[in-house]
Amino acid sequence: MALTLETLRADIADALGEDPADIPVDENLLDYGLDSVRIMALLERWRRDHGIDASFADLAEAPAVEAWAPLLGVG
Amino acid sequence: MTTAPTEAAPASPEDGPGAGLPLTAAQSGMWYAQALDPLSPAQNTAECLEIAGPLDPEVFAAALRHVTAETDALRVRVSDTPDGPRQHLLTEVAPPLSVHDLRGAADPDADAEAWMRADLAEPCDLAAGPPFRHALFRTGDERWLWYQRIHHLVMDGYGYSLLVRRTAEVYSALARGEEPGPRAFGSLAALVAQDEEYRASEAYAADADHWRTAFADRPEAPRLAGRGALPSRTFLRTTAHLSPEATERLRELATTLRATWPDVLIAAQALYTSRACDRADVVLGLPMMGRLGSVALRVPGMVMNVLPLRLSVTPGATFAQLVRQVVLGIREARRHQRYRYEDIRRDLGLLGEARGLVGPLVNVMPFDYGAEFAGAPARARNLSAGPVDDLTVNIYDRADGRGLRIDHDGNPALYDGAALARHQERFLTLLERLATTDPQQPLAGHTIATPDEHALVIDEFNDTTHEVPPTTLIGPIESRAARTPDATALVFGTTALTYRQLNARANRLARHLQERGAGPGKLVAVSVPRSVELVVALLAVLKSGAAYLPLDPDYPAQRLTYMLRDAAPVCALTDHAGRLPSDAGTPLIALDTLDVSGYLPVNPARALTPSHPAYVIYTSGSTGRPKGVVVSHRAIDNRLRWMQHAYPLDGRDRVLQKTPSSFDVSVWEFFWPLREGAALVVAEPGVHKDPVRLARLITERSVTTCHFVPSMLQVFLASPRAAGCGALRQVFASGEALPRETATLFARTLPGAALHNLYGPTEAAVDVSYHACAADGDGPVPIGRPVWNTRLYVLDAARQPCPPGVPGELFLAGRQLADGYLNRPELTAERFVDDPFGAPGDRMYRTGDLARWTAEGEVEYLGRTDHQVKLRGQRIELGEIEAALTARTGVDGACALVREDGAGEQRLIGYVTGTADPAAVRAELTSALPEHMVPAAVVVLDAFPLTPNGKLDRAALPAPVFGGSGAARRPANAREATVTRLFAEVLGVADAGPDDAFFDLGGTSLLAVRLVTRIREECGTELTIGSLFEAPTPAALAARLATAAPAAGDALDVVLPLRTVGDRPPLFAFHPAGGLSWCYAGLSARLGPDQPLYGIQARGLLDDGPLPPDLETQAAGYVRQLREVRPHGPYRLLGWSVGGILAHTVAVLLQEAGEEVELLALLDAFPAEQWRERPAPEEGDALTAVLRMAGFDRTDERDREDVLTTLRKAGSPLAGLSDHTLSRIVDIVPHHARMMRAHRHRRFEGDVLFFTAAAPRPEDWLTREAWRPHVSGRIVNHDLDCTHPQLMRETQLDAIAAVLAPRLTGPAG
Repeated sequence: MALTLETLRADIADALGEDPADIPVDENLLDYGLDSVRIMALLERWRRDHGIDASFADLAEAPAVEAWAPLLGVG
Repeated sequence: MTTAPTEAAPASPEDGPGAGLPLTAAQSGMWYAQALDPLSPAQNTAECLEIAGPLDPEVFAAALRHVTAETDALRVRVSDTPDGPRQHLLTEVAPPLSVHDLRGAADPDADAEAWMRADLAEPCDLAAGPPFRHALFRTGDERWLWYQRIHHLVMDGYGYSLLVRRTAEVYSALARGEEPGPRAFGSLAALVAQDEEYRASEAYAADADHWRTAFADRPEAPRLAGRGALPSRTFLRTTAHLSPEATERLRELATTLRATWPDVLIAAQALYTSRACDRADVVLGLPMMGRLGSVALRVPGMVMNVLPLRLSVTPGATFAQLVRQVVLGIREARRHQRYRYEDIRRDLGLLGEARGLVGPLVNVMPFDYGAEFAGAPARARNLSAGPVDDLTVNIYDRADGRGLRIDHDGNPALYDGAALARHQERFLTLLERLATTDPQQPLAGHTIATPDEHALVIDEFNDTTHEVPPTTLIGPIESRAARTPDATALVFGTTALTYRQLNARANRLARHLQERGAGPGKLVAVSVPRSVELVVALLAVLKSGAAYLPLDPDYPAQRLTYMLRDAAPVCALTDHAGRLPSDAGTPLIALDTLDVSGYLPVNPARALTPSHPAYVIYTSGSTGRPKGVVVSHRAIDNRLRWMQHAYPLDGRDRVLQKTPSSFDVSVWEFFWPLREGAALVVAEPGVHKDPVRLARLITERSVTTCHFVPSMLQVFLASPRAAGCGALRQVFASGEALPRETATLFARTLPGAALHNLYGPTEAAVDVSYHACAADGDGPVPIGRPVWNTRLYVLDAARQPCPPGVPGELFLAGRQLADGYLNRPELTAERFVDDPFGAPGDRMYRTGDLARWTAEGEVEYLGRTDHQVKLRGQRIELGEIEAALTARTGVDGACALVREDGAGEQRLIGYVTGTADPAAVRAELTSALPEHMVPAAVVVLDAFPLTPNGKLDRAALPAPVFGGSGAARRPANAREATVTRLFAEVLGVADAGPDDAFFDLGGTSLLAVRLVTRIREECGTELTIGSLFEAPTPAALAARLATAAPAAGDALDVVLPLRTVGDRPPLFAFHPAGGLSWCYAGLSARLGPDQPLYGIQARGLLDDGPLPPDLETQAAGYVRQLREVRPHGPYRLLGWSVGGILAHTVAVLLQEAGEEVELLALLDAFPAEQWRERPAPEEGDALTAVLRMAGFDRTDERDREDVLTTLRKAGSPLAGLSDHTLSRIVDIVPHHARMMRAHRHRRFEGDVLFFTAAAPRPEDWLTREAWRPHVSGRIVNHDLDCTHPQLMRETQLDAIAAVLAPRLTGPAG
């Protein structure tokens, strides 16, 4: 059950209380309200549902969809 | 128990370039905080990890060495250089670790805890040793405690998590016999580079703009303690857990609201803070890890920042809306999170005012470390999260199944343990409630009081039910007249009436009034100056059954006409024709021409019930029209019955009637004594404003009971005759806040009389609360407890009860409430509202007064919620004055306020825009408003100053110019500009001017050292600290630099001028044993710009001249010096320690020379004979004394050189003294000790003001009572909670100045 770009954006949108269509690929998600608690929650969700193996620091260092996709194995 | 510390190896040489790295902005903040108080351990942070399982201490030590080698931040030394503080990175640092096996101890955890607390209390020298240390405690075979303490300058909370995880990882690898994985940490240099890059970027400027704009109006920080304070060296902590169920529900609530649980907790704290501080605009501080999207994620170090989160909390909004505000607010703040909190404060100019921007900090730590040591799980517990300015709420989500752990950390200068625990209990109760309440309900449904507190403030404190008979105001007077007909009822001048005579006269007039239409439910106006006739008239109106309407004969005609038309009385009684305007249509009855001899002198019949009105009194109205308050017989009868119960009068008492009848205090003055058989002593018109005539009247007529408005009481007590009022046994104060100083002065002046503070608005039958002032009370004087059948409520913005200590608006309920405002149903409905805590149909009155409960069930008055003011006891609605101003031709807009620009002098000022002539406007007002409502000055403005959100900025209204005042100017030359800039830099004030005095701008001796150093660096000129005392402004200092005058000796001269300007008699402060008077510098700013202050210092500090042979000779020399500054008295003298003995001796010499000494203040000084039999100190003790002068206790300093080292290390100004001077001081100290022991005191004529350092001391035989033989008057003592050396510290100086200030008022005599 690999993570898809669509799911990725949908999950992020859910955590931020936004519409998936409003989640940009190339912008800093911190400006959209992403914070450490939300990153942690997303990471746990993806570990559980998709067996992702990334660290908090990996995601928190570059908080943008385009930076996360390769880390999360999103094609 | 064994201890096996590993040897901390000496640090290896520095690597890299010798200059080291600069500090990041985040670190700089910490560095300066530490430099301000080098011996403070407040910046120590620490954690304790409980490791459950086997642990190998050798492997653990190896793991620590490994991680230390990987962590740059742990291997720094920080030193101060001319270019500012730098951090030097060492290649190798052996981690200090001690291992303690406590398995044999009775309570291993307690022993470990004690050890950790002791270590945490040790200050950390960043220049000398590693900024961290470890300890490992074995408390069981398979249970270990790992203690880790790190200075906050190098590590923050997130950094700890990196360190702990890495240590666990390395330990586990080593325990398996494997090489740990490669280092995962980034470098400290990367942090520094990132910081420098940011500070040079456009984002930096944009962030600065953002914060400057967001807080342009500089909101007041919400303080749960009601005030702020400097950070202390320690903090208090209370710990609690939110139940797992509530924690879970809060998580669910967060999900429902599309938020995280930290957002919900922050919103809850905002709600709590809003209610606890009684304000809608709340700024919380949020510690942020500050690492998202940055390399800092992998660097253990100090990065965290505190961001202000501004929220608007109103009762009508829902919790869901508040949480949304938090989410959006944090999102916005995060975009500008790299900008430092210290910089935001600096930009807003708050640093110079020592003002904070945020209230409580909410520090949420949402992650557990999840660290395991070779399979042994570890549970972390924070011990110290760094300095606490005010209050920090630390919230930890630990995966231990116990729910959220909540630590409330408080600054001990603001909270005691009980107060902190109460805030915590309420916060947890609120969280539990929020977790179970629909978040879409308005916040008004929530209270911050716990159920116990609710019951306490609503029921227990208001348990005042008392059966009273259904009588009226007048009934008991008539029965009294029947019982004691021949007793004296009334005395006025040379006239005296018995009860029978008074009753008869009133009855005849009452019958006449009944014929003119007076009766129950009707009104009769009375406008008669104080006289027998006034009392007869008031009684007659009441006897007729009507209510009386007092009209002050001095009011302007315009206002009298308005009141007559508004109230429509059936008739008006005056002393003579022409007293009242005839254009109101009211039938007027002039008493001087009225013959009532034909009427029967017996009590008239009337169908009067307790529900009928007894009187109507007009008060100022905010919309420009005065309003009549209708008070029933039931209400005032309850009030007088309670008063008789609380302060019984009998036939021997004489009560003074001096309050004008238009003020409701006069109601009890008139009628209470006549109900009880006492005599009423009526003061002649005008006497109530003249303290001397009043005192004479009170003395001559043996008055036992009277009333004063506090400001008049102060004036009265200051008059020399006041102490002669020997018959006075009880005095009631009301009408405005009673200052403690007045109560204290009262107890001193009239020790045989009791002072009672009463409170109440006209709307609740004179007074509703009472407090007996204790002679030795301190702090604000409470307005006290509710009277019979009366309830006091302190309610927050949501009309929920405030717990004790929390400010809110005062509401009144019960039998004494007025019926309402005459002919003003809407206004009545607005101020008299349903009582939600009473029976159905009960009302409560909204006072507009701010108040709070004490824990003992008394209420303290705090101020007003609106623009009503009290000026010398008289209630004024500023709105009414503004309406009167606006009504003048040529006035476009108006506003009025009471200013306190001078020393305690309150003035009512009017401001107008338009073309009007201010003097003419003021003159016109005198015909429209009573005298007390006419502004002292009217100021014309081009436009009103506005706040950023467009409201009138009252604080920015200019002070009226009553005399000349120097305008601010620009520096006159380059040197002045440089010095001004350095002032601003060192003091952290944005707008220092060339004429601002250093100590007025918040300068301390520590900052003085810094300033002198900076001037030396920038201007290349040697200056001493003393130059700053002599030339305290940039202009004066620059002039001194220009002439290159040798400055070295100035601060060591006999006369040290600490403030030379000001028109009061100067205060002379005599040096303690060491001979220097620098310690008094802090008094100068505290006593204000009008009080000159001179230090008197020992001779011989500069040269090797002989020291005086005895104290008498020394004092005689000082008298000559004093007279050069001030040739003749009155003199004001003060001295600490030996300085007190000198001050006393100088005072005696001055008196013997025929001079007046008006103040002699002794600060923990004890006379010669107390010391005589004790051995005098030698050099060793002299060194102790030198250290004490600098505020230190001696520890291990062996000789002069050690002492100097300590002083230099601590940045003490004394360290700047030459070796010669210090050597002289070491000689002078024992010399003083010897002279003092040989001294013989003579007697000082007058009182002595004494300050005792009341903390326990080794010399427990010292007592101020030993002064008795040497002082003719009283010794008025003030205890201060400190030791003798601590007496010159900031907080004690505050207290000393507060006592001195009222005694130093008044210009040169």
